[in-house]
Amino acid sequence: MNFISHFQGQPFATNKVESYSRGKSLSLLLLAPALALLAIVFVWPLLRYGWLSFHADSVITGLVAIPNGGANWIRLLSDGRFWQDALQTLRFAGVSVGLELVLGLALALALHQRGPGRGVLRVLCLLPWALPTTVMALGWRWIFNDPHGPINALLLQLGLPSQGFLSTPSTTWLVSVLADVWKTTPFVALLLLAGLQSIPTDLEEAMRLEGASPWQRLRRLTLPLLIPYLGLCCLFRVAQAMGVFDLIQVLTDGGPAGSTESLALYAYLNAMRFLDFGYSASVMLGMFLLLLVLSALVLVVQRRFQQQQELT
Amino acid sequence: MSSGGLQLENISRRLGARSLLHEISLEVPAGECLALLGPSGCGKTTTLRVVAGLDPVSSGRIWLQGRDITRLDPGRRQVGMVFQSYALYPHLSVEGNLELGLEIRRVTAAERHRRISTILELLQLVELRHRRPAQLSGGQRQRVALARALLRQPDIVLLDEPMSNLDAQLRDNLRPELRRLLCGGRHPVLYVTHDQQEAMGIADRIAVMSNGFIQQLGTARDLYDQPVNRFVAEFLGRPAINLLLPQQGHQLGLRPEHIRSVNTGGLEAKLTGREWLGNQQLLNLETKRGQLKMLTSADWTPPTELRVSWDQGRELWFEEQSGERLK
Repeated sequence: MNFISHFQGQPFATNKVESYSRGKSLSLLLLAPALALLAIVFVWPLLRYGWLSFHADSVITGLVAIPNGGANWIRLLSDGRFWQDALQTLRFAGVSVGLELVLGLALALALHQRGPGRGVLRVLCLLPWALPTTVMALGWRWIFNDPHGPINALLLQLGLPSQGFLSTPSTTWLVSVLADVWKTTPFVALLLLAGLQSIPTDLEEAMRLEGASPWQRLRRLTLPLLIPYLGLCCLFRVAQAMGVFDLIQVLTDGGPAGSTESLALYAYLNAMRFLDFGYSASVMLGMFLLLLVLSALVLVVQRRFQQQQELT
Repeated sequence: MSSGGLQLENISRRLGARSLLHEISLEVPAGECLALLGPSGCGKTTTLRVVAGLDPVSSGRIWLQGRDITRLDPGRRQVGMVFQSYALYPHLSVEGNLELGLEIRRVTAAERHRRISTILELLQLVELRHRRPAQLSGGQRQRVALARALLRQPDIVLLDEPMSNLDAQLRDNLRPELRRLLCGGRHPVLYVTHDQQEAMGIADRIAVMSNGFIQQLGTARDLYDQPVNRFVAEFLGRPAINLLLPQQGHQLGLRPEHIRSVNTGGLEAKLTGREWLGNQQLLNLETKRGQLKMLTSADWTPPTELRVSWDQGRELWFEEQSGERLK
């Protein structure tokens, strides 16, 4: 059996068992480059971190890895700063991803409408996403600068006192969420727009003939068909937001008083400022485990949603 | 306007400089099935969408069961439509597809249940009611789409090429079935197709359209025997009508089944090819007035040189320039 007839399907295969095993080894062969790449950039670092997390490797040990049993992990469990950061990161991810989904959906629905200048609008909407995070974070830091930023300038002109937006924990946190939402909503909108465009227009027309209002069409047709896309957005964005680093580092550097510090920033500080690579590996892996649990949760919720529809 | 049925009064639809529909007027009484027949781009689907309210009209009026629905929202027109793609909601079961519309119209649960089980029974979908559209065959999907259109007890049923996604054999089997389900009810039916066989098999009357105009409206028999112009004559009939080379501004049209071989007189013809059709054969002939196709009995062996004539009174004359038929 030659290569071509393999793709022409069963009728040409003289021996089904043979063609099956051929197909399997062929697909493995085709997957091999991708698997090799994954092993190098993903599996190997992970294993290396796992190994490192069971070693003391810091300035104290002269940057030599010395096995210390589970000491790093025991320290992690009772490290108030780690759990504080975990909560802060979760809160940041939850609120910003939630906002991004709502705003992204609204934006996608708006961009999906027919109208003049739609192409230009789409490009404009994508701009924030195309901007490097560092540049964008610097921009926001300037906008909320006390007292020279444009917002405080406006307040002063109105005769109001200038506000230390980036020196009060609550407002600093809000600014970090705002910056993240501003930057990544376009990404969510783009993914959802692709989802919207995959819905045939005659389904919408069939709903109109049933007498469905725009709200009913959204709730009974568009949203159910968008669930796979919403799930995908959620997964992407939760994973990214949980690992938020550059935005926080540039915008607040975790401050004030560590109130916006994220897990990734804490892991970075352990490695690069405190030069404790062993413990940093534990923090990193702890964060990774948290993410795994969260991703599983997102998938379960999405599955549940889809099953619920199947029942109705 | 008279009540009952559908009336289109001088419907035009323009899109920029392009005229999609041009002064379309027709009337379909309740219980009648009218087919809109024509090549793609002729305006038949646009006519359907205009009646459904999915496309606006530029001028003219639409009456349905005595109501002027020209500017009415599609959801308030009481139309049941079968889309070419069937447009079944992929995330809902067969039952869910039927129920959604009734829920939107706030039909009570008991009434929904009663209506759905009646229609499932009628269209033999009871066993399939929990399946998703993706788990149905083309024919089954068509039945679900039909069920959904009939379920809302519409004032008119619109069908947009409902057979185009089905294979030929299934189409042949479904035609009488569709006719039984659709026609003779209390509502008119508008059926869009580009397949003349389908139009003749299902519809009571046919409107042949091209370029946004209705060329002719009548029974299949009228259209076939008395076409108003060359377009209609050519569009109906397989194999197509023979058009001889024009003489003095006139053109003769002869249907292949009306051509006879004769001993004397007629036209000299040379046999250039034979297509065997099973029960008949189609001869390709070359004459000095152009190519001819002739339908004859399958067991006759024609000579290579022969003389042909046609059944008197069955020939059609057309004006060469305008294509209008001369009577």
